[in-house]
Amino acid sequence: MRLSRPQIQDLALGVLGILLFLLGWELIGFYKLAGLTWPRFSTVMEYLFDPSRRGLFGRAMGASFSMILGGYLLGFLIGLGAAMLSYTLKPMQPGIDRLASTINAIPPIALAPLFIVLLSREVTGMAIATINVFFVIYVAATSGLEKSRQNHRDLFKVLGASKSTRMLRLDLPAALPSIVSGMKYATPAAFIGAILGEWFGASRGLGLLMVSAMQNFQIPLLWSAVFIASAASLIAFGLMSLLERFVHGRFS
Amino acid sequence: MSPETAINVDHVGMVFTLDDGTELTAVRDVDIKIGKGEFVALLGPSGCGKSTILRLVAALEEASFGRVTIEGQDPAELSRAHRLGVAFQDHALLPWLTVKDNVALPYKVAGKKVDTTRVKELLELVGLGKFAGARPSQLSGGMRQRVSIARALVLRPDVLLLDEPFGALDAVTRRHMNVELQRIWAEDEVTTLLVTHSVEEALFLADRVLVMTGRPGTVAMEMKIPFARPRDPSIQRTPEFHAMADKLTLALEPEA
Amino acid sequence: MTGFATRARGFLAKYWGVIGVLLLWQGWVWAKDLNAIVMPQPLDVVRDLVTNPGIYLSNAALTLTLAALGLVMGMALGTAIAVLAWTSRLLSGILIPLGLIFSSVPVVALIPILARLLGYDVKTVLAIVVIISFFPAFVFTSAGLRALPPGSEDLFRVFGSSPWQRFIRLVLPSAVPSWMIALRLSAPPAVLSAMVAEFLMGTSGLGYMFRQSAADFQTDRAFGTSVVATAISVLCFTLATLAEKRVNARWS
Ligand SMILES: Nc1ncnc2c1ncn2[C@@H]1O[C@H](COP(=O)(O)OP(=O)(O)OP(=O)(O)O)[C@@H](O)[C@H]1O
Ligand SMILES: [Mg+2]
Repeated sequence: MRLSRPQIQDLALGVLGILLFLLGWELIGFYKLAGLTWPRFSTVMEYLFDPSRRGLFGRAMGASFSMILGGYLLGFLIGLGAAMLSYTLKPMQPGIDRLASTINAIPPIALAPLFIVLLSREVTGMAIATINVFFVIYVAATSGLEKSRQNHRDLFKVLGASKSTRMLRLDLPAALPSIVSGMKYATPAAFIGAILGEWFGASRGLGLLMVSAMQNFQIPLLWSAVFIASAASLIAFGLMSLLERFVHGRFS
Repeated sequence: MSPETAINVDHVGMVFTLDDGTELTAVRDVDIKIGKGEFVALLGPSGCGKSTILRLVAALEEASFGRVTIEGQDPAELSRAHRLGVAFQDHALLPWLTVKDNVALPYKVAGKKVDTTRVKELLELVGLGKFAGARPSQLSGGMRQRVSIARALVLRPDVLLLDEPFGALDAVTRRHMNVELQRIWAEDEVTTLLVTHSVEEALFLADRVLVMTGRPGTVAMEMKIPFARPRDPSIQRTPEFHAMADKLTLALEPEA
Repeated sequence: MTGFATRARGFLAKYWGVIGVLLLWQGWVWAKDLNAIVMPQPLDVVRDLVTNPGIYLSNAALTLTLAALGLVMGMALGTAIAVLAWTSRLLSGILIPLGLIFSSVPVVALIPILARLLGYDVKTVLAIVVIISFFPAFVFTSAGLRALPPGSEDLFRVFGSSPWQRFIRLVLPSAVPSWMIALRLSAPPAVLSAMVAEFLMGTSGLGYMFRQSAADFQTDRAFGTSVVATAISVLCFTLATLAEKRVNARWS
């Protein structure tokens, strides 16, 4: 890949910005400009990569990431399934639309008690992540499925395509760019859902680590937990952006 | 006309209901019979209802009056049996498939096993053997149109429907494509309905030319084209050709 | 009569999903013969809402005020910084990537850090909402300031307008639609983060009320809080969407 001059400049400035941000973080901590609850960047990194804490963070990450991944996959499947259903059975669409946006309008904090009763404390994070992801994917997929072009639809009709063939060979491929964009925006949504869910009383995970560190003034632990969650979400988002670029180049 | 009627457009009228509720009569009392293996060109000015007729034959619309049959059957039955081939002005290739896979698409849609040798032969026939693995976006407009014609023919359809397949091409490429289409068509001599704006294209390709005019459109004139096949491009410079072209052009002008 | 029938049919077509879920809920409570402490019946929730409107209203008002104030301040700050960044290639090159990074991490995860940094206080809730509303406003306004109608810049240059005039009459107005998108996107998270902050810190407002009633096993009140929270969230989203539509209608 060859970059043009402005692109190189953008990249350099972006990297510079990140470095300045980390430097600022370090200096504010060093000079205690924000008080004792702002640790230096280096302190957080030292804390984070200390071998003795590998087990602690490993367990928390294992618990949270499995909830996030589970919620993401479940939300994706339900969202795509609902979109395909409302696309195939058009009369059902308004009802499914309304249900999806009503569920989305309920703040997760209000859904938590329901899930705690219905499911269990442990999987509440996964359930909220599922709902967050479901909505993003549902919206992206329903708009994507409408994107097949009229002449392609005519072609499939003349060729005598069945509904399922048309879905598989025309509607889904045409929807893929929208779906993948939805998948990208669903990643932070999954993280938010899982962390929020853990705040309502999970016994493991990064979210629990954050709340207990906050309540017990374990400042480096608090910042480390938030750092892990943010970095992981950012990496997932970055990978999804790469996938998105590939798919947009290929399918549209 | 050949003795056996393949496509029968039987006194067909078509009324569209527009979004604001008003009704628009697109075509009125159109009566066309196309024999088996015959190549008919439908010529007419923009908006006279040529595409409407083609879409009726392709089972993409339902006639408001009269009836369209193909070999006695409803066109929808032919499309359900995967026996129609179609190419539009806009190539309608799927951008995510390679050229080869686009041509193989009708097999997949029909749930049949892809006959790779047939796909290959057709790609050779339209002169795109080397581009089998390319994507539509990497081809020129003329090449894409050739792919879409190959796709229309791949299942050896009973009826071939072409709606201005070369309408978006420049004049030179278009003439070249007409020569190619004639050669490809000669392989199978499948019953064909071609919709076009171009008098020369209609004369060069068809056994019979129908002129549609007016709004709502009706068939105003019919002309048999006597040139023997295979036709050489040089016939387009003969006096007969010019005389016929003048006659058709005159028929196209609305009472001028 | 027939008018009523068609209206009822239209209502059912839109809301069969929502109604179905509510029926499932009620049926599930009956079938499992659940204790009111574990799972209240919809009717109990309504009763608590109607008999104690004062406590709901005062807490909702506080949360709503914090969310709205924080949203306005965060958007103002984000817009101001976006305008500042617009004036300099260096500044925008540094700030925009950072803004993008922060708007694609799970920002609610920052709440515990901010709570610790600023202390458990109502002002902290406000600060959290400001920060969370800041990033979308910054990112979208920055994008909007760069999305000038094609050719318009040349036109202004030909007219010999001053840079200031150009900014006021051309650049700022063309950023308005993107700004409205930021408003719509930020409104629900503003309400949500205010509530989550209240919940975590246990200060005041709906989040606090929710936490308190859950701790006291007043499940009907906890669910009542959920209902009020949902209503506020829907209200904010609807208002922001209406504002966006209004503005877009005038702008195009
Ligand atoms: N789906 C439709 N709904 C409403 N009106 C239609 C529809 N399809 C065609 N028409 C109208 O029917 C008339 C004939 O259209 P048609 O597309 O058949 O013309 P055409 O001869 O193919 O024109 P062109 O050469 O420009 O393609 C036009 O007035 C058109 O506006
Ligand atoms: Mg047409």
